[in-house]
Amino acid sequence: MSPSPEGRPEETDMELINRWKSGDGRAATKLVGRHSQALARFAASAGEREGIEELVQDTFVRAFASLDSFRGESTLRTWLFTIERRLMLDRRRTERRSKETVPVEESDHVSEYGALDGLIAEEAQERVRKSLDALSPTQREVFTLRVQQGLSYKEIAVVVGSTEGAARVHYHNAIQTVKEFLKDE
Amino acid sequence: MSKCIDNEIQEMLPDVLHGALVSDARARVEAHVASCESCREDLDVLRAVKSAAIFAPSIDVDHVVRQIPPYTPIVPAVERPARTRVVSWLVAASLALAVAGGGSALVIRQWGGTSATNVASGVPSAPRQSTQTPAAATREPGIPDVKPAPVEPSRARGLALASDVDALSDGNLVQLMNEMDKFDALPGSEPEPVISVDSGDSL
Repeated sequence: MSPSPEGRPEETDMELINRWKSGDGRAATKLVGRHSQALARFAASAGEREGIEELVQDTFVRAFASLDSFRGESTLRTWLFTIERRLMLDRRRTERRSKETVPVEESDHVSEYGALDGLIAEEAQERVRKSLDALSPTQREVFTLRVQQGLSYKEIAVVVGSTEGAARVHYHNAIQTVKEFLKDE
Repeated sequence: MSKCIDNEIQEMLPDVLHGALVSDARARVEAHVASCESCREDLDVLRAVKSAAIFAPSIDVDHVVRQIPPYTPIVPAVERPARTRVVSWLVAASLALAVAGGGSALVIRQWGGTSATNVASGVPSAPRQSTQTPAAATREPGIPDVKPAPVEPSRARGLALASDVDALSDGNLVQLMNEMDKFDALPGSEPEPVISVDSGDSL
């Protein structure tokens, strides 16, 4: 348990969940603040271009509606990633069904994120993002969960519904693909 | 540049970026990376990928929290006492038995009536008996005339045939016998004798 800026020990996720269940709304704010950016990053890394805020919001709404089923066998963040990933898959299925394939313009992507964080997309970062596009969907999920979120292989296996061994293989294949892509560029 | 063959170190490289290694493991990885060009290159790639994550939009926490529904605990289903469950099962079993029994009786009754009608269709009906029963003719005076309950003709006409035969007249009997002769229930000829295939070689 890491100390808070005020010097008090930071409350664990389970403590905050119990507080929210007993009617303390501030606990929900703390939980959302603690995990929302990680969820947004995961969605962006997994290839979501639009509606990331809505996706994160839906993830929290679903998670809080079924908090009684969270047993604490994994971390809350891993559980949230699992929910968010299912929502992303549902969303992609719906998009495929509706056959409304709107190609994502490169300029849209840059302007959206550039405006949001006030950052200019540097050439090196663009190359990295393109290299992630070269990965298969599962490789990309495993790789970004490992590298950007710092999840263990065991946690990744829970999120993507696979095994720890398979997650390791996906990671190794992904880093080789990314390295080769960056060399060729 | 030769590819590193230490998979364990390679798999721990992302943990270096997130400060998730204990001091011993961290020192071991750092010592390896210092002497391994392949792992240094991997670590550079991982740093670049990690920093690329800053592109995610910032989330309005308050807006998200406002969408979260209030907590409603899941009420567990009330466990009924074992005795209630046994009684329920008994009632269900009794109902099932009654339905199955009633259904079977209906089917048998329906089937029996139909077949008996078919059998009886070719048989001439027996003549009506006298309206006065022998008992009525011999009864004592003063004893009230108790009429026997009218006997329903059996639907299973095949079973009732044996008793009706006695009441048939000679002419009807002859007619019945002639009808029975026309039945083709028996084979027209004797079966062929079974020819032994024993060649006589066996002892």
